[in-house]
Amino acid sequence: MTGYIIRRLLQFIPVVIAATLIVYAMVFLMPGDPIRALAGDRPMSPQVQEALREQYNLNDPFLVQYAKYMWGVFTQADFGTTFQGRPVLDMIQQGLPITLTLAAVAFCFQAVIGIIAGILAAVFRDSFIDRLIQVSLVIVVALPTLAIAFLLQLTFGLNLGWFPIAGNREGMVSYILPGIVLAAVSTGIVARMLRSELIEALQSDYVRTATAKGMKRSRVVTRHALRNSLIPVVTFLGADLATMMGGAIVVESVFNLPGLGGQVFRSIQAQENTVVVGIVTLFVLFYVVINLLVDLLYAVLDPRIRYD
Amino acid sequence: MTPDRTPDMHLLPRRRRSTGLIAASMATALVVASCGGDDGNGGTDNGAAENGEAVAGGGTISSYTCEPQNLQPGNNTENCGSRVLQQLFTGLTVVDHETNEAVPAVATDWETEDQVTWTFTLGEDWTFHNGDPVTAQTFVDSWNWVVDPDNAQAGANFHDKFLGYEEVMEGEAEEMEGVRAVDDHTLEIELTEPFGQLPLVLTYTSFYPMPEEAFEDMDAFQNAPVGNGRYEMDGEWVRDTEINMNRYEEWAGEEPGSPERIEWRIYSDVETAYMDVQAGELDILSEAPPNRIPQVEDDFGENYSQNESSRFVYIGLPMYQDEWDDVDLRHALSMAMDREEINDQIFDGAMTPAYSILPPTLPMARENACEYCEFDPEAAADLYEAAGGPSEFTMYTDTGQGHDEYVEAIANQWRANLPIDDISFQTMEFAQYLDLHDQDEITGPYRLGWLLAYPSPQYAMEPLYTTGAASNNAGYASEEFDEAIREANFAGEEESDELYQAAEDILLEDLPVLPLFFQDYFVVHTDRVDNVYSDLSSYVRVEDVVVLED
Repeated sequence: MTGYIIRRLLQFIPVVIAATLIVYAMVFLMPGDPIRALAGDRPMSPQVQEALREQYNLNDPFLVQYAKYMWGVFTQADFGTTFQGRPVLDMIQQGLPITLTLAAVAFCFQAVIGIIAGILAAVFRDSFIDRLIQVSLVIVVALPTLAIAFLLQLTFGLNLGWFPIAGNREGMVSYILPGIVLAAVSTGIVARMLRSELIEALQSDYVRTATAKGMKRSRVVTRHALRNSLIPVVTFLGADLATMMGGAIVVESVFNLPGLGGQVFRSIQAQENTVVVGIVTLFVLFYVVINLLVDLLYAVLDPRIRYD
Repeated sequence: MTPDRTPDMHLLPRRRRSTGLIAASMATALVVASCGGDDGNGGTDNGAAENGEAVAGGGTISSYTCEPQNLQPGNNTENCGSRVLQQLFTGLTVVDHETNEAVPAVATDWETEDQVTWTFTLGEDWTFHNGDPVTAQTFVDSWNWVVDPDNAQAGANFHDKFLGYEEVMEGEAEEMEGVRAVDDHTLEIELTEPFGQLPLVLTYTSFYPMPEEAFEDMDAFQNAPVGNGRYEMDGEWVRDTEINMNRYEEWAGEEPGSPERIEWRIYSDVETAYMDVQAGELDILSEAPPNRIPQVEDDFGENYSQNESSRFVYIGLPMYQDEWDDVDLRHALSMAMDREEINDQIFDGAMTPAYSILPPTLPMARENACEYCEFDPEAAADLYEAAGGPSEFTMYTDTGQGHDEYVEAIANQWRANLPIDDISFQTMEFAQYLDLHDQDEITGPYRLGWLLAYPSPQYAMEPLYTTGAASNNAGYASEEFDEAIREANFAGEEESDELYQAAEDILLEDLPVLPLFFQDYFVVHTDRVDNVYSDLSSYVRVEDVVVLED
């Protein structure tokens, strides 16, 4: 088990190098001159532009720029600064808690609601409840995220006034609407996935045996059938938690949450390589760590799986 | 868009021209000030009188802004930060928003005989929010710091007419020779050539005085800038979230701010801010999103205003390409554009169609100055044919913000009115778009905009149209125009208006760019505030806002 974890951790190194290099290259290759764009249609004097290019190593060839940046990261934990002199680390410190809170709220929604809906739909298969759940999930999955966001803001924020429309001034309450929006699509997928898995499991031999032994229906479902059906769902939830960072870009912008998603979006537009790479590296690390945790969780759900 | 609500009937009469409004607002402010705020309805026909009384002390307002690039006076060239800095700092001169002229601020008085050497007399009571006095030397130090290329300040080139600017830029001198503190309260500025617009130029953000501590660590300073303005920071700038400021009671200017406290809320999306104003979470939004304009009256009733700005949007023609270097061709294209129709169809009447180069709100601007901007499709077609205009070409624009919509509308009008078979479009990110311009690689008509940093006719023309100027994207080169603008710059205040008009006449004859519209801004606000309007730069004059309830 320990050996397995160490091996997996060592795999992080090439993944991080490859990811940062690719991201750095992509931003570097974007057309247009970031310093020129900084000033907009009101040009800066050439000396000022030159000073900025020098300061941010923009005159160096691509690999030298990248090497200088990574050197700073690994030797001095210096993630660089924005073109305006703000340390990237500072941005991460501010934005990370917000994005993580948003992701956690969304994760709770999709796990709890998705799993409950999936169980209900499977247990009461082909009943009215099943149909209702199926139809509403299709609608939620089909609607564009922006439309859901707007609808919720309009209904629960503006008209009913139950939740704040935007910002995070009111603490956790502010994360409920954006959390639902971020979770919406995945909730539908979780429920549908679990429904079909559970229906299959409920028809299997071991469930029939358990029922024949006189076990209560609820215990059969939760202890025997559900446990098996959850394995693909957990895989999906884990992968999805990681991709939520991407979804956060839109949701954070619409709900005006000052998290990392919005930072990445703006930095890509402004071609601020250091910021993009800093934050994306964090996302990549997050992704691989979550995947590792998911793999370890399999063993808990299915005792036949062993790591060594 | 409801078909029966034509813009002419509903939106245009509500337009607030700056004249009169500001006078009323100042009256309100004076009444509020003189009555200690407990009896703010002194019979003015505007502001507090309509809806109730202003709250004692001035109250708190929250106002929209976007995330500033920075809060460094010398480095800020965008709206998100400028509107905040304007409250934190006061320059030598400020813009009078009624007349759009420069009026005294830190400088009580100035004189010049030749428009080259200027002597500014400074008021004696000015202090920074930390108590440090503001003296002539403060300005000398601040400006030299901004111009020093090591500090890489984006606003440095606004100082380019100062004697010694070039030397400092080239690293040959430490300080500008032309900026001298004669004594604590006398500042002498020497220019490289006569320039009558200097008092207006000095209203710009790059000329704000900065305290000693700013120069030690600008990155730290901008988290809570210490200025000499109407308002002082309360706490730090919380990135992407908020900037709070309280009225600075020691402010030495004449009309202190009306609200006691201003909370700038930072939004990444105007749509969200619009909804927050509807919900009463945010008091003021200075730029209602274009798609909401048709319904703004339904949503806000009386609580909105349409304000003219100096933002000039034009269709430029790359005169460095032989094809477009033909004045008849440009006249034809201009006359084949129906500006009123574009305003009605695309913007629901929310812009001011442009028939001049100078923004109509400038004192010397003339309405309908542009002869070749009148819509005349027949004459245009004949002229285009005779000039041998191309039957196919490409139009250029940058993505986002809906620019492609009106560019396509123009293309459709040209196709309908002129012998043109096909117009294709190139749309790209702004950075890439600017690159193409810098490298003279644009091959057809393009759209661009220009917002005045300070309300001078010089700034509306010189940077864009003089030969070789940095923002002269059209590649226009006319000795006659260069001479005319020089002559106008050299003139004193009294004579300059006519000379700038003469320079504009040359442009309107040569048409290096086709005027399209001046952008109007829709300001929306909640019931609890009043007297909300925006200036030529599209900034809400938050210092004049009256709070009606806590």
